[in-house]
Parts: sequence; C-alpha cells; structure tokens
Amino acid sequence: MDILATEQGSPSILLARAGDAATEPSMARAEAAGAWRAWRTAVDSMDPDQIIGLVSEAGLRGRGGAGFPTGSKWRACADQPGRERFVVANGFEADPGAQLDRTLMERDPHAVVEGVALAAYAVGAHQAYICLRPSATVAVRRLRETIRAAEEQGLLGTAVLDSGFDLHVEVREISGSFVVGEETVLLRALENRRAQPDQRPPYPTESGLWGKPTVVNNVETLAAVPWLMAQGAQAFQAVGAEGMAGTTLIQVTGAVARPGIAEVPMGSSVGSILGLAGVAGTAKAVLVGGPSGGLLPPSEFDLPMTPERLARSGAIWGSGSLVVVDERTCLVDLSALMTRYLNDEACGKTIPCRIGLRRLAEIGERMMTGHPRPTDPELLADLAADTRAAALCALESSATNPLLSGMRYFGPEFQDHIVRGVCPAGVCQPIRVAAGAAS
Amino acid sequence: MSLMDRMPGWGIVRGVAFGVAQMLRPKVTVQYPEEQYPIAPRHRGRLLLLYDEFGTLKCETCFQCAAACPVECIDMGGVDTKSRFHVHWGPAEQYAERREESALRRSGRPVADRTFDAWQGIDLAPLEIILDEEERSPRRLLRILERTQESYGNLPVAAIQHISHATGAWYSEIYGIATSYPHLRFEPPTAHEIAICRCPTCMVLGSGRVAAALQAALATEIGGISPDGRVRLSTADCGGASRDGPLVIADGHPQPVMTVARATELATHLRTVHLPAERQV
Repeated sequence: MDILATEQGSPSILLARAGDAATEPSMARAEAAGAWRAWRTAVDSMDPDQIIGLVSEAGLRGRGGAGFPTGSKWRACADQPGRERFVVANGFEADPGAQLDRTLMERDPHAVVEGVALAAYAVGAHQAYICLRPSATVAVRRLRETIRAAEEQGLLGTAVLDSGFDLHVEVREISGSFVVGEETVLLRALENRRAQPDQRPPYPTESGLWGKPTVVNNVETLAAVPWLMAQGAQAFQAVGAEGMAGTTLIQVTGAVARPGIAEVPMGSSVGSILGLAGVAGTAKAVLVGGPSGGLLPPSEFDLPMTPERLARSGAIWGSGSLVVVDERTCLVDLSALMTRYLNDEACGKTIPCRIGLRRLAEIGERMMTGHPRPTDPELLADLAADTRAAALCALESSATNPLLSGMRYFGPEFQDHIVRGVCPAGVCQPIRVAAGAAS
Repeated sequence: MSLMDRMPGWGIVRGVAFGVAQMLRPKVTVQYPEEQYPIAPRHRGRLLLLYDEFGTLKCETCFQCAAACPVECIDMGGVDTKSRFHVHWGPAEQYAERREESALRRSGRPVADRTFDAWQGIDLAPLEIILDEEERSPRRLLRILERTQESYGNLPVAAIQHISHATGAWYSEIYGIATSYPHLRFEPPTAHEIAICRCPTCMVLGSGRVAAALQAALATEIGGISPDGRVRLSTADCGGASRDGPLVIADGHPQPVMTVARATELATHLRTVHLPAERQV
C-alpha cells in the first residue's frame, strides 16, 4: 500500500528512513542513515533506568490501541523480581484490512529491531520475540535478515558490543484468528497454548510469557524508541498533542481518491487525515479502528485521534485504520456484518462474549432483513452494556462498537429498516412489514 | 437351607433381631442445611448438562470443563460442534469397546460410520520423528500439531491421541489448541480452496453477500468444507487493498471483480468440474 504524502513540514519519525516497497533494506545504508546509533550509545554509556526515564519523559504511549504509557509499562516490568524476562513485539495485526505494522516492518525493519533491543535492554530481558502473521512473508524475511546482519556486527547475540549483555531476538510467525492480536492471547499462542485471553491483573508485566515478567508492545511503539533516544525526549514531545507525543501511522481505505498509509502527528483530527487521502465530499461515515471500531458521521470529523477521545465518541483506536463509506453503503448491513465477523472470530471463553455476541449479531441481522422485534433496540443497548461490563478482553468490549455507534449516529437509517422496512442505500432487501407485526 | 430355617417363627425372630441391631447403630442422616458434612476441597458438586429453551443440549463440546476439571473426572463423547467428527475426552480404553463393529451394531449405528473414520489407525512413524525432534514437550504442542498437519495433510484423531500419550498433555488440551487455530484442520485436504476477505473494506464492497452466496453454494460455513469434501471455504487478508470488489482467492489465484452471481458460479464450478491441477483457474 502507498505511503501518502503529508503536509510540508509534517514531522516524520517512524517512516523517516523508509525506503520504497521494493528496496531491500541493508545494514550499511541503514547505519549511514542513523540506525543502531541509539543502541550503541545505550549499551556503551547508559543504564537501563536512564532509558526508561527518557521514554517516560518523552511521553511515548502504546500504539496498540489502549495508549498505555510505555515508560510505566517498562518500569513495572523492570521492577519485578527474578532474572528471566521477555520482550514481545506485537506485529500480529489482527485486522485483515490493515497493513500498517506490516508496512513498517517491511520498510524499516532496522527501527523495529533496534526498538526491540532497546526495550529488552531497559527491562533486562535477554530474549525477545517479534510476532507477526506468516502471510507477511516480506516482513518476515526482512526482519530475519536484519537480525542476522545485526548479529554478524555484534549488535545482537551473546555479549552485544563486547558488553556483558546477551540479547537474542527471534521472529515468530503466528497463525490465528482476530483475537490473537490481544496481548494475553498472543502470549498464549507463543506458549503453544489454546488461543484464549487471560484475566488481567496480573498484567503481563508481572506474569506474562511462561509466567515471567513480559513487556508486550506494538511494533510501532518500539520503532519510535530509537528516534526519541537519538533526538532527545524534548524533540519527541514537541510532536503531537498534549499527552500523546510523537507520530503514528494511519491507514485510509474505502471511498477515497488515494488509499494509503500516512504518518501523522498524534492527535490529528480524523478529517485532516481523510484530507490526505483525498476524500470527496460524499463521505457518509468513517469506520475508525477496524472491524471492531465505531462508525463516525461527518459531524465528528473534527475529533482528534487519541484513544480517550475516540472511546468517548464510541470508536476505538484499534488497528489505526479508517475506512470511508459513501452513500452507496448501508450502515445497518455493515455493522451487522462486522458483528457477525467478530462473533465468528471470538474464542468463546466467557459467556457474555460467546452468547452475547451471537445475540447481538442476530439482532443486527434481524434489522438487516427487516423483521426486527419491537424490543430489539432496547435489547441491543442492554445486552451491549452487559457485554462491555463483563468483558475479559478488548475484542469482547469493542465488539459492541459497530452496532452501538451505528444506532447512536445513524438512528434514522436504522429506524428506516426497523419501522418502515426500507433500506435507504438500497443494499439490504428488508421485508416490508411493520415492526409490531413482525415478531 | 438349614434346619433352623425350617422352624416356624424363625424368620420373625431374625427380622426383629435385625431391626433391633439397626436401632442401636448410630444415625447417618445429616440434617442438611442445619448440619453440614465436611466436603473435600476438590469436590465440584454434581455435573449436569443443561438444555436450552428449544430443548437442544447447550453443551458445545468445547472441552473447557474437561480441561478445567481438577480431578479429571469429566468425560465426554460426541460429535463436534460442526457435526463433522466424533470427539472424546477420557481414557482411551473406555471407548475402545464402543468402536467395535458389534458395539456399533448393538447401538443401532450403521457400521461404516464416517464420523468414525478418523479413528482408524494411521502410520505413526512420521509422527514419531516429529515427536522426537520436538522432545515430546507439552510446551511445543502447537508446533507439533503444525508439523503433524504438514506431514499428514490434516490432524487425524489417532495422531492427536498419540500426541497425548507421548507428551502427557490431556486430549482436551490438544483438542482445544487444534480447534482454536483456524489453520489446523481435522478434515482431509480438499481438492480446491476458496478464500474470501472479511475486512471492513471488503464488507463495504459486498463481501458479506458474496460470502453468503459461497456458503450457500458450498453448503458449509466459513472455515468448513463442502459436504462432498471437494472445496474448503476459508478466509484471506486483503490488507485494505481491495478497490472494486471483495477479495476472493480460488486455489491461490485472486479472482477478478466478484459478484454474488460469479461467486455462485465459481463455487458450483469447483464442486462439479474436474480439471487437471495445472489448468485450474
């Protein structure tokens, strides 16, 4: 997928050194462009606490969806007793419609591997894993080549840079369903166990991989670390919004002129990101956050992209993808399909998820086919609230988003289906009967 | 019969003596809930299967209860959720008897039952090599299952049983792993595979209706195989790159713009037409 041109003067942190898709990354070129410099400085002259302090000061927050402060996560892991710890870089990218992490790992694998190394050094881990899908073959190959080249140079492996520190980074290909993107499920998959989430707390920083303290970070979070180490915390903080420093990758697809991936400062508004992809004036809604995201109407396009603000508006950060839909798309159809998809992909560990999502999908499908029961809107709100409240993992709580945000912002369109039995977009073919008579 | 038994009234004497003896023994009735008997810490109450409002069993044979049972007393046999295979959890020897032809006949089953095919013995030599290389470690079950599938083409139940024996992992645990990863399969490999992307971008472009058409034409769900065992329906990732229609991949070939009519045609074609492998589209 193409990298979108950003406005003049817009800072570039993650994709600063990115080549084009076909260029194979090489150690010599990457080092000339500044890769591994932060790693050398860190191993030569910094102690782990300094690195954690720097990351906290820079205000780096996780890009995996929840926006947890990275410095605090590393501190929590580093403070745990015991010698064995792990760092896991989550590049699994569960959303089948997103390729942000994959693109980052393909274009600049050095930044990702260096970020993983710095995280491992900061928390005192000697083993790190980068997890991604086997379908991302180019990224897998380039990451493996990068690690091999770094080992040849003595940057990774036993006694890195002639210090006493050992660090082994391994690329793991993990197949799985949508739920594997969740951190505890990913750890389970790494442990060769059944792909189901675990209750938190204890968080992975206390008891993660094989019960040992583990830092799980998105690859995008880790790729920002070398830059902020090299340029300083102040420079990093200067980019982005209050409390959300740095830049992030956002993918825009759907009814746009130029679908692609853009690197934007954190807290950019949804509308400004859509502008980069060339949205015609016909956008009816935008789906923020992938299959479990929320549908936002044009009136919400001023919303800054931060996890908190998105959550308040009924969307999520999720995979960091925006899907623009125009007048030809029926939102009842789309949200019902997404709920059905999430129900299919859920692991079924908890009852609110296993049964609640199935019932939600059935409600959505009843609306789509035009024979809803009169109590369905109420039941939907009630069931969704219960499912969210009882959620064990992020999939379960966010799976209610499509239908809830659809009902919230596009009530008239849902009402047309429920009450009048017509689909304004002409997509669904609802049976034309009044709601009262249908049940 | 002794001489005493022939004596009139002896039975009454015996009965009265028994009654008196019982009266003198301590009471065993516990006046629950006023009195409570000590319960073993591992006691989990009485196991009960629940039925839903339509009268069907709520049990989905997910084996989560068997995996959680601390005393390993939960034991299941049945057909899996998609009605494809006979599955069980519990000591193998209990089930050996039921697999015998005469036992099948007694239970009213036809003897050649396809759900029991997976039980038929397999050549364990390739599996033994895999197990040795993976050190028979229960910490490498996913890897072992992936390699088993590579070697056999699918996961035969006999292989899972053998893995359970060799690693010491419970059958329920291995079955749980095998069912929670979509790339692990019990069914033998199919001649054809159709994959459809279910990302939001493709849904906007009609992937929902195309998927419904494929499911109808193949008479299976996503992740399943058609009843004739010829075509598998699975998922693909477009990464958001679809522009004109949902991404559909048939036997490794991305298809041009897909509509409901074309999807039905494709599925029907793959189910009915035999083409040499190199000419498949």
